[in-house]
Amino acid sequence: MIQINDLKKVYNGVIVVNIPQLEIKAGESIGLVGNNGAGKTTLFRMVLDLIRPEAGEVLSNGNKVAGGEDWKNYTASYLDEGFLIDYLTPEEYFYFIGGLHQQNKAQVDEALLSLTEFFNGEILKKGKYIRDLSKGNQCKVGVGACLLQKPTLLMLDEPFANIDPSTQFRLKNILKEQNKKHGVTTIVSSHDLNHVTDVCERILLMEKGKIIKDIATSSSTLSELEEYFGVGQSIASFEVDREENH
Amino acid sequence: MISTFFNHELKSFWRSKNTGKSIAIKIVMGILIFILFLYVLALGLFLDKILHSAFPKANLTISFCGILLVYYLFDLLTRMQLQELPTLKVQPYLHLPVKRNSVVGYLALTALLSFFNLWPIVIFGPFIIKIILPASGGLVALAFFVSIIALALFNNYLAMYIKRKANLNGWVFLVAGAVLALATSGDYVWHLYSLRDISYLFFGNLIKLPVLALLPLVLAVVMYYVNFLYLKQNLYLEELSSKKANAYKSSTEIPLLSRYGSVGDLVANEIKLILRNKRSRSSLIMGLVFMFYGLIFYTQAVYGESMKVFVGMFMTGIFIISYGQFMFSWQASHFDGLLVSKIKFTDFLKAKYLLFTIVSTVAFLLTIPYVYFGWKVVLIHFVMYLWNLGVNTTVVLFFANRNYKRIDLSKGASFNWEGVGATQMLISFPLLALPYAVYLPFKFLKMPNVGFAALALVGVIFILTRNFWIKKLEADFYTKRFKIAEGFRNK
Repeated sequence: MIQINDLKKVYNGVIVVNIPQLEIKAGESIGLVGNNGAGKTTLFRMVLDLIRPEAGEVLSNGNKVAGGEDWKNYTASYLDEGFLIDYLTPEEYFYFIGGLHQQNKAQVDEALLSLTEFFNGEILKKGKYIRDLSKGNQCKVGVGACLLQKPTLLMLDEPFANIDPSTQFRLKNILKEQNKKHGVTTIVSSHDLNHVTDVCERILLMEKGKIIKDIATSSSTLSELEEYFGVGQSIASFEVDREENH
Repeated sequence: MISTFFNHELKSFWRSKNTGKSIAIKIVMGILIFILFLYVLALGLFLDKILHSAFPKANLTISFCGILLVYYLFDLLTRMQLQELPTLKVQPYLHLPVKRNSVVGYLALTALLSFFNLWPIVIFGPFIIKIILPASGGLVALAFFVSIIALALFNNYLAMYIKRKANLNGWVFLVAGAVLALATSGDYVWHLYSLRDISYLFFGNLIKLPVLALLPLVLAVVMYYVNFLYLKQNLYLEELSSKKANAYKSSTEIPLLSRYGSVGDLVANEIKLILRNKRSRSSLIMGLVFMFYGLIFYTQAVYGESMKVFVGMFMTGIFIISYGQFMFSWQASHFDGLLVSKIKFTDFLKAKYLLFTIVSTVAFLLTIPYVYFGWKVVLIHFVMYLWNLGVNTTVVLFFANRNYKRIDLSKGASFNWEGVGATQMLISFPLLALPYAVYLPFKFLKMPNVGFAALALVGVIFILTRNFWIKKLEADFYTKRFKIAEGFRNK
């Protein structure tokens, strides 16, 4: 599905992304983790042809992403609020996105019906422009618009960050369903290790622009990641304290 | 504490994006403000001469005292329109251990930092020193100064108060406007009373009894306290913010446009963009104001036909110029979204052309009443309408590919320099010079009508070859899109 060769991005002399080789197969569910500044969003932007890499290329279904239009037909993405047209109402935005994919209003309405639970009555018929929605609700609109496009490649940048716990669970179910039932390739970045290991079958760990770990999710993945991010240490020291008290 | 606030205020002014990042813009802005200041100062210095020629029979001091109240009514009206509320700036301090009184005092004091408070002193100050000081002595002059400044402050806080009230309830603004309108028409339309006499009643007596200057002073202090107390009781974000109370926003469709497929959808979106955001709305309203441009020029015989080229271009194409010069910055906030969604850039450009065509056509239809000044006027308008659709649209879109500055749509347009850069300065040259480059040679050969025909012909050729230009613009865009998207991401 996605093939990355020698991809490099430099900002002010600092290499922010440097990926010699990465292949993502169709139907995989990828979780991208890494601390702030690791290069996750930059990588997303290069895959979506939003910034020009210093070197290398991204291929989507064998075609170059840069300068191409073909990938737009099957790729849906939501990175930040900058993807939403904020002076439209959510309905108008959905109809617009649907219209781009040759769906008429009835078809859009029908597709939105399946998202009723996810929207939780916060999005549709509220009489608000997207700019007046909270960040969490804007995220729901962005994800909803992605699903509306019936993509085969779905890319979300930190979708769990602003949404409430119920919506987080619903989103996880949606992502699993899209991947398992519809065979959608999903690439999701997140700081929540529990969610990522729950949803994704393959975890890419980024540090300073490089992918330093590429692991298939197993029962030990979460603890492996927690150890990397330093969570393991504090739990260990806490346990030592308890034993001393005894 | 308040000095810290002022320190922050100064920093926010110099570091604000609206102030303009490049020094060139700061210089141009400085010069413009300075020129405006000079004009007002000249008005002040020659006020005695102006008053004398306006009311040749009356005593100078009487006519001066007469216009003061009229000025302040007008001042209040403009303040209500233009003066900005210094509001949300306090948001970062509300949750900190800062006394409410200092926050409110800061808000009330920053309200003084407005150019509006400077004008009365600049306009009336010279007159007081030139005429009143020699005639009536220092005490009276001082009394005049005190009253003039106090009235300005009174107006300042009254306008703030009305605007704050109006934020919670839109009717307040209408009522205040109606009261002002009634007060002026009571004099000028129905002649029930004379504002000038009322004004003289106070200022005339001020000459005899300088103590009266305390009256406006008390008014100003009272108004300040009303404002202060009101702010203190309503120091909540939703009440401070300049956003109007949220009404239900309904989804709308523009049925005619849906026939054009995705190009039509894009135009519909852009029309919504224009109507639902403050800054873009003002550029549309400016276009409507320009419809009266012709009245200035056509009523004066001095301006010949070559002027009509200019006037016709502006009236039918002001929207292309005022809105188009900032293109694609209007869509900066969601440009990434547009780039990754399934929109062909060709369609994107076609939508721009369609939008310009629609608005210019409406503008042309609105200028038809100018037929009063002869058929030729409308003919010239039509020629310039074709020119706008053909040449100016393409010029504007060519420069749009070179515009990398983000615009925040929610800010008003007056004195807003955000998004202004070299592009906007450069764009005016081809827009102004090109039509004359075509027209003037024929005019000098004593064939002005051939000149108009040439303008129309060039316009039509460009309209017919639109697809060619769209291809060129698209190819051009693909070499620049990363830079554009990058610039738009920089908040």
